[in-house]
Amino acid sequence: MRRRANSGQILLIAAFIMASLLVSAQLYILEVGKTSVEMAPNSADFALSIKSVSRNVVIGSLANISNGGVSDTLDLYLMKWASFVGSQYLYGKSVLKYTLRNLAPYASSVRLDWGGTGFGLSSAYVNFTHKLSDLGAGVDRSFFVNVTTTLLITSTNRRLAGDTRQVNVTINVLNEAKPASAEQITVYYLMSSNWLIPDQANNYTLLDYGNGTYQASFVAAFPTGSVEVSTHIIDQRGIYVQANVTSVEI
Amino acid sequence: MFDRKGQIRIIESFLAIAVVFSAMVVSVTFPSTPDLSKQKALANIGAQALIKLDTDGTLGNLIVQQSWTRMKTALDILLPLGVSFNMTVYDESGHAVNSESVQNSKLLGREAVTVQYLCANPSQTVQFFVVRLQLAWTG
Repeated sequence: MRRRANSGQILLIAAFIMASLLVSAQLYILEVGKTSVEMAPNSADFALSIKSVSRNVVIGSLANISNGGVSDTLDLYLMKWASFVGSQYLYGKSVLKYTLRNLAPYASSVRLDWGGTGFGLSSAYVNFTHKLSDLGAGVDRSFFVNVTTTLLITSTNRRLAGDTRQVNVTINVLNEAKPASAEQITVYYLMSSNWLIPDQANNYTLLDYGNGTYQASFVAAFPTGSVEVSTHIIDQRGIYVQANVTSVEI
Repeated sequence: MFDRKGQIRIIESFLAIAVVFSAMVVSVTFPSTPDLSKQKALANIGAQALIKLDTDGTLGNLIVQQSWTRMKTALDILLPLGVSFNMTVYDESGHAVNSESVQNSKLLGREAVTVQYLCANPSQTVQFFVVRLQLAWTG
């Protein structure tokens, strides 16, 4: 009789248990579903990043080639990059194509011009097309990457005493025609068919004007006022370039 | 006496039904899908941060130098306050590169969004990486 009287309360307790089970199960499902949502990149952002990274690939390749790497390095890295872009885009089809420039003075998109008087240039120029098609808007754009490090040098010298002369070399470094800093600068002078590096014994100084202009100065003995000077630099991007000039006596 | 007991049973049954029904109503009103516009905005913030960080190849260089602390500091600066992140870098073969976690707080139990970014380091040996950045609002 007592059991019968309590059965309604048991029903209520069971209802509360069921309700709490329902709510907690729903909360658990929500928590589990809260892990991480993979978002397709904005097409414009993705295209922008492809251009930016393509530029990095060209810079790295030119750094490699100008420092003595094989000439097809650029082609190899670009091939790898194009394949990487195609395989890693998960939200549709991404096709990156490139064309190497073989129009003089470029050969396989690279130009290393280190023979001019007072002028040296390491450059790479590549044309790209990028097609992106996904559920959102597609992108079909062409762009080019031009990476050029230019070195301009001028030099003057004046006689101090006897054959001893002070040689000044003004060095200008440019990246894409804009003043840029150099990571490393080495100045050479020609003495008896040997290229020598001036050191402390030559009172060598290098002044950085902070705007891509440097002035190197040293003292050495030269029989004539015609002094052959060479400057080799590596810019901040690791690209090597050199230039030669005949120092003018003043 | 029996009649009153019967009425109480009916009331108790109604109460039980009401409890279960209200639990169902409450669970249905929970947001079942994440707020997509919020997540899209967060993904854009993440993508912009990575694009900025990759200016001049900084992102690729930091990966090659294994400068994970500098990477975390850079992301702390580039991402707005109130955004938690966790970054993992994979090489071309899909192996995780970062030996230590690049994150500012745990993302467990938060609605996170993942942004993927491809990058390359602009040095003589060009290497390619996939950067996966998970982001969540902390609030």
